[in-house]
Amino acid sequence: MDEQELIAGCLRGRMEDFRMIVEQYTGPAMALAINVLGNRDDAEDACQELFIQVYRNLGSYDPRRSFKNWVYTILYRRCLDHLRRRRRSAELVKKMGQETILAIPANPGHSHPRRSLPSDLLERLKAKERTALGLWANEGYTAQEISEVLLCSASTARVYLFQARKKIKKLLEQGDVSLQNG
Amino acid sequence: MSHCKTVEIFYALVPLKPWRGFLIRSHIEKCPRCLAGLASREAVGSLLVKETEVKIGRSLWTGVESALAADSGGERTKDRAVRLPVMRRWGWAVATAFLVVLITGFLLLKNFRPEGTASTAALPARFALDYVRIGGQPADAVVYHPQGSDMIIVWAGTNN
Repeated sequence: MDEQELIAGCLRGRMEDFRMIVEQYTGPAMALAINVLGNRDDAEDACQELFIQVYRNLGSYDPRRSFKNWVYTILYRRCLDHLRRRRRSAELVKKMGQETILAIPANPGHSHPRRSLPSDLLERLKAKERTALGLWANEGYTAQEISEVLLCSASTARVYLFQARKKIKKLLEQGDVSLQNG
Repeated sequence: MSHCKTVEIFYALVPLKPWRGFLIRSHIEKCPRCLAGLASREAVGSLLVKETEVKIGRSLWTGVESALAADSGGERTKDRAVRLPVMRRWGWAVATAFLVVLITGFLLLKNFRPEGTASTAALPARFALDYVRIGGQPADAVVYHPQGSDMIIVWAGTNN
């Protein structure tokens, strides 16, 4: 079924259509969220919030805009919220001097452990750079398309991408050198 | 080579994104030497989690569905999905308009006086009486202005 038909179905209240949208976007959204947030638990939370927000705001979606980009924009903002919350709780923990709080899992019933970023190298990048990189490498997005997701100019998106690629290259080379030396 | 160095220097010197974007578009993206200093798509791709590596069960949809059900108390209809935000927007617009009218009206009424009446403070300054004549003869006149009132009473009488 066509994406626009699915959206129209959702607006008519057809949950089955919305379920198809969720299934269609779960994979790419989860991949992007993991790459930006660095762990699966937070990525799942962000994606759940994403789809809830998508459903609630489907009425305000502009069909002239790419639906995928619209979804990614919401996801990017949810990821930023998660990072902000994480930073705040980290500051709180630091203030309280209770490092042990970090050991308490967010969801004790979860089967898989909290994982770190897919690559530690990505931790050195800013969230915007990680998002730009994820869209560029996984989705084949251009700077123009990235700018539509990040809601910035194409020049700015180009700069984020350039800086991210430059940092990664440098870190990869440093890694090679340290491996050779070690 | 020297051109690449110049671009690098200009890139570092001016930290403005439009300018840097211009340098990237006009030179770096086209220059093989500069591109060699950037990680390739394949290299970056090997560091990232890909869509195919993500395995999600039913948990995500179940969570979304239950959150939406709790939110709206069941399935939404098109009218609710579309009209509700529109109605909410209209509600806000009407409320704002009402508030603006209320404030403007209050401010206008505060300073409004029907024509012919003057404000209490301005009355003594505006009222002027040179002399009073009765039957062509000068008359004694008493001007009375009760305190806190807009009214002025002129009492005039002949001498005889």
